[in-house]
Amino acid sequence: MKCASLIAVISRQLRQMCRQPVYVVAMLVIPLIMALFFLSLLGPGLPDRTPTAIVDLDNSSMSREIGRNLNAMSTINISHSADSYSQAIDMMNSGEIYGFFLIPDNFEQHTIAGLTPTLSYYCNMAYYIPGTLTYKGFKTIAVSTSGAVVKTTLLNVGVDERQVETMLQPIVIQDHPLGNPWTNYAIYLCNSFIPGLIALMVMMITAYSVCIEIKQHTSRQWLSTANGNIYTALIGKLLPQTVIFIIVGTFIQSLLWGYSHFPLNCNPLTMITAMMLLIVACQAFALTVCCIVPNLRLSLSIVSLVGILSFSIAGLSFPVESMYDSIGIFSHIIPLRHYFLIYADQALNGIDIYYSRIHFVALLAFPLVAAMLMWRLKPRLSNPVYIP
Amino acid sequence: MKTFRHWFGSLYRVWRREFSLVLRDEGVLIFFLLLPTVYPLVYTLIYNPEVVHDLPVVIVDDCHTQRSRQLAQMADATSAIKIVGYATDINEARVCMDQKGCYSIMHIPTDYDLNINREKQSKVQFYCDMSLLIRYRAFLAALTDLSLASDTEIQQQIINTDSSPVANQAVILGNPAEGFASFIIPGLLILIIQQSLVLGITMLGGGAYERRRANNGIDPMAVKAPVVATILGKSLCYFTIYIPLIVYMLHFVPIIFDLPRVGSMSQWLPMVVPFTFAAIFMGMTLQPLVRQRETSMIVVVFTSLLFLFLSGITWPRYAMGWLWLAVGDIIPSTWAVNAFTRINSDGATLQQNMWPLIALWILCAIYLTTAIILHKKDWGLKKFR
Repeated sequence: MKCASLIAVISRQLRQMCRQPVYVVAMLVIPLIMALFFLSLLGPGLPDRTPTAIVDLDNSSMSREIGRNLNAMSTINISHSADSYSQAIDMMNSGEIYGFFLIPDNFEQHTIAGLTPTLSYYCNMAYYIPGTLTYKGFKTIAVSTSGAVVKTTLLNVGVDERQVETMLQPIVIQDHPLGNPWTNYAIYLCNSFIPGLIALMVMMITAYSVCIEIKQHTSRQWLSTANGNIYTALIGKLLPQTVIFIIVGTFIQSLLWGYSHFPLNCNPLTMITAMMLLIVACQAFALTVCCIVPNLRLSLSIVSLVGILSFSIAGLSFPVESMYDSIGIFSHIIPLRHYFLIYADQALNGIDIYYSRIHFVALLAFPLVAAMLMWRLKPRLSNPVYIP
Repeated sequence: MKTFRHWFGSLYRVWRREFSLVLRDEGVLIFFLLLPTVYPLVYTLIYNPEVVHDLPVVIVDDCHTQRSRQLAQMADATSAIKIVGYATDINEARVCMDQKGCYSIMHIPTDYDLNINREKQSKVQFYCDMSLLIRYRAFLAALTDLSLASDTEIQQQIINTDSSPVANQAVILGNPAEGFASFIIPGLLILIIQQSLVLGITMLGGGAYERRRANNGIDPMAVKAPVVATILGKSLCYFTIYIPLIVYMLHFVPIIFDLPRVGSMSQWLPMVVPFTFAAIFMGMTLQPLVRQRETSMIVVVFTSLLFLFLSGITWPRYAMGWLWLAVGDIIPSTWAVNAFTRINSDGATLQQNMWPLIALWILCAIYLTTAIILHKKDWGLKKFR
């Protein structure tokens, strides 16, 4: 590999990147806009104050107190009140509310009489996050209403107040969400979806920049600039992109952990290395696809389909262990999966780097696979045929 | 009358020509046929296990009493938790967690049983991995049930009551299994319709532009017709192709995978028609901006993620700022995802979703106008002549 020819290929690639606006858009504009989009959209961390309704058929002092207690919950906001069940369902079906709490008629009377009335609450789980938050808020109030009645009864028969508390809840299970004690969705989603987007753009730009040469019949000229050496040609072409993507990726990481103060419980260099490896692995993945199908349209379609599917198959929202084994096994060949696991181990949980070793190795394996398939690409570059 | 007939004649010729263009173009066929048929299956297969259950948990039992063992057994009996082992201390459990042997540690303190017998509150610690929130959610639900069940049992022993004075009943609507596929797939189906249409249409536009560049500004495949007839003819062609696909995706895919489907086709179809046209016209608006068949993919594919979040199915719209609400409002999928989810999963009627229906028709009109304006201008042509 001659240094001069490598520099010639690099400068050739840089000229191409300046001439075609798609490079600027895909490498700078889209990743930065999407990073800002996620950070500003998910800024609040948790979508508190879910709009909900109360259906108070009792209208007693007790039922009104329940209403006040419900409104005091941070997760829900009693924004509507309905006169009947059907009116509340109507509101839910038109999307005004995500759940409602129903207090039956004669609720207070039946409670005092010991007839065990039922408080019911309805949550629209077709919207997962608001549905869950509504459920959590409603359930807390429904259970504590029952507790309040017991407490009053016990106090009236002369039980000591401190003892009543224990009797109501003898066992407390305290949950400690490690690494993200605020259960902040922004921390969770930004750290997985933004790198996923970078991975998608890296793969598409790599496939595009290699195969466009075949389409435009310039691949022979490209190869001759590199003195006929396929490795010089590819390194010269991809290196400028690698550098730009690493700068963009590291900048976005600084937005996450510097500007937004998301937890970073490891040496920042570990995560910067992981980002570099992710970018190189994604380039190698796209290159592998180009070696197998050296056709612009097909390779670009494949990497974009894989790039979009990797958000799901890498287990960013639904765990890989819970997927069908025959599906979950594909997660290993997705570079994003390994970056995500390194992130969870290092940045989120801050455990020893020893436990993430396998994922670093996996990311390094992608370029090796691409290098092994390179022989397929060279004849295609020498005799470019464009299939539309 | 003659011009009227001529206009319809050219509309039909555009429709027919576009059909043959689509069928001869493998790249477009990938988006128009393969994507809408295969993607719903792939996505649903990924998420089809629906819920996470039997998540591995390690117990650190410092109490070693019959009661602490009973708590561990009760935890094991919940659907979310599976006790995979006992650790002697928290450090050993921590190592197991680092090695991904478990996702949570439950620590029962030495005085657990003692405190209950002394009628003092006992505290059990539960340390949970937070890399995926769906796991935490499952754990939390299990813990709530667990503490309620064990509380009731102990209360019965202490105060000798057999039931709580007020019962409570949760009714889960829309997605009674609380499954992940049931939640995300209906929205994704709508999004797939829109994105595949926009990808295919912009790719056709890029192809036409390339043909013009190669032929001195004249597209040999184009039919000579008025601009409005050209746009409507092409749109009707795409719509014809998508009718069976829509029925397959929105009607049969939920049946195949047993997803929520309480709404009837008569309710969602009148909403999906303007949605499809709005998506087509949105694609036609973007068409003149695309200069190359393949570049469209690079700038369109990432928007799937953007539109998914803007639709409010994952992150609710009430928590969005005005800017993103406004951006979401001009995207057809935002309205259709919400209306379809409510009709399909919650059994809402079209009448209850009148506003999305009106919005979709308005978007149709807006995007049709922009498409006509941009196609009339025909930016690229001047350069070649």
